[in-house]
Amino acid sequence: MQKTFDIPRELMTGEDLAQPGMLSCQGCGASLAMKLALKGLGERTVIAVPACCWTIIIGVYPYSTLKVPVVHVLFETAAVSASGIRAGLDMRGEEDVVVMAWAGDGGTFDIGIQSLSGVAERNDDILYVCYDNEAYMNTGIQRSGATPMGAWTTTTPSGAVKQEKKKDIEKIMLAHEIPYVATASVAYPDDMIKKFKKARTIKGTKFIHLLSPCPPGWRIDPAMSIKITRMATQAKVFPIYEVENGKYKINVYPEKKIPLKEYFKTQGRFRQMSEDLVKAAQERADRSWESLIRMDGEA
Amino acid sequence: MAEAEFIKGNEAIAMGAIEAGCRFYFGYPITPQNDIPEYMSRHLTDVDGTFIQAESEIASINMLLGASSTGARAMTSSSSPGISLKQEGISYMCGSQIPGVIVNMSRSGPGLGGIDPSQGDYFQATRGGGHGDYRTIVLAPHSVQENYDLTMKAFDLADKYRNPVVILGDALLGQMKEPIRRRKYRKKEFPKDWAMTGAKGRKKRLLKSLYLSEGELTDHNWMLNKKYQSMKREIMFETQFMEGAKLVVVAFGSVARILKSTVQMARDRGMKVGLFRPITLFPFPSAALDKISHSIKNFMAVELNTGQMLEDLKLSVGHKKNQVDFYGRPPGSIPSPDELFHEIKKIYKKRIG
Repeated sequence: MQKTFDIPRELMTGEDLAQPGMLSCQGCGASLAMKLALKGLGERTVIAVPACCWTIIIGVYPYSTLKVPVVHVLFETAAVSASGIRAGLDMRGEEDVVVMAWAGDGGTFDIGIQSLSGVAERNDDILYVCYDNEAYMNTGIQRSGATPMGAWTTTTPSGAVKQEKKKDIEKIMLAHEIPYVATASVAYPDDMIKKFKKARTIKGTKFIHLLSPCPPGWRIDPAMSIKITRMATQAKVFPIYEVENGKYKINVYPEKKIPLKEYFKTQGRFRQMSEDLVKAAQERADRSWESLIRMDGEA
Repeated sequence: MAEAEFIKGNEAIAMGAIEAGCRFYFGYPITPQNDIPEYMSRHLTDVDGTFIQAESEIASINMLLGASSTGARAMTSSSSPGISLKQEGISYMCGSQIPGVIVNMSRSGPGLGGIDPSQGDYFQATRGGGHGDYRTIVLAPHSVQENYDLTMKAFDLADKYRNPVVILGDALLGQMKEPIRRRKYRKKEFPKDWAMTGAKGRKKRLLKSLYLSEGELTDHNWMLNKKYQSMKREIMFETQFMEGAKLVVVAFGSVARILKSTVQMARDRGMKVGLFRPITLFPFPSAALDKISHSIKNFMAVELNTGQMLEDLKLSVGHKKNQVDFYGRPPGSIPSPDELFHEIKKIYKKRIG
């Protein structure tokens, strides 16, 4: 029996800055993720949102489900637009306002990586969050650089599954030696809120990578979306850890060993995955996990 | 004749492209054209073609530049904001005389705008769009059948003129389903003595748009201009109810097809209204409109924007004592034939009585 998670009461205090009325699908991870993120950040927050599901989820203009200011920016510019907002706020003396770029995986792994890299190189004082649902879901499930090997999308050639590996975005960001890189998941809300609270206090570029389930894109029952997302961490394909000034810390240790195959079985998008690909994915996940444990041990 | 098939507008474009020998497609997700990359990803591999979903719009237009520079038939597609991102690539292709087909199933703007039909990209498509003094041929279909036919034609025109060709549709033309008939593409030969194929056994070739010596770029630009002028022989347009017309409504693309019903309504009520539909937006059918303006004095542009093609219409017939009126509908809603009839009636009453 899976243990249910209690969110410590002290983390959930204060007004909900993400209000009802979100135009998301049932079981959407991205809308829950925003609620939890704002619990950690508070109302002195400005958000830059590029083209992604959240341009829709927020509601139809002039209404917004969020009680903090939001700027819609170009698909490829979440990070640099946030830098511009930061510069403007600093000039006005509003240094306590945290600027968060909130982008999907397409806007981060693919079209937005140039501006993200530029911001990280300059160590601009922003929080960059990628809510990763592992494909271009808003436009109808097209493959992205974040789509895992073995997943079906509407643009994987011949209707087959993706053959290429998912980019290791944490490694890319860590190579920039920014002060804070973390992964988090809506299936571990307590850990997630704490990370946003921490990110708020750190100066420089912060990068948080969220695994965010998408029932229509993953081909899962919306009621199962949190359970399946938790499995990703239990099966070690999405480990939850943070790297603060180069120091690794694994935040969630899987309680029991779940083979990746079990995780794949829960989702329609992996239905066509061959045994060979499953094996290759398992080997890759094992390798990453072992290296993560080594890095954690060194800390 | 082939059996009629019930096909979505975007898919008809993809089908036309494959039939015309397009074997390389590069795209990026954006609504409302996703059916094109999706169709290509499913079917290009059947004909040993290559489908790549690039990491950005800039990547996909420059993959097109690369593939076309080898002499292959290649295509990219996107929608308004994505087409804006591609402009630098299109400018390079024009400057280096590299063919290629670019589909813009346009959505509404400015900015992120919306995903509904719009004709707000007329200026961008017909005036070059990117930097420098250049033009692309612009084809404007108004039905799913035309999506199919004009896409095939686009590849011939691109190769013939060594120039990018833009197909300008919109959300309506991309998303609706209509019966179409496929036809066999008649292969035309265009010698590609400029293609990058490896220089073994022949002189090396160079494709470039950079010209630095004194006067070199002047000559290059005049040469390109001459080429753009010569495209006039490709002008296409359609007319309806022109006999005895007193008012000519000029419109292209999706709004023109709505107007076909409107003009019929006007004729049923005894109003002498005709319809002129440019199919090539660049080159614009100025000479044909000018000729018409010798016998008909009243024109009215109808567009899904605040007045863009209107300028070309005025440049064509705005001289002498002609009247050019306008009705525009910016994006956000599509006018019904009745609404358009109401607008045309107002102008008809004012000008003709």
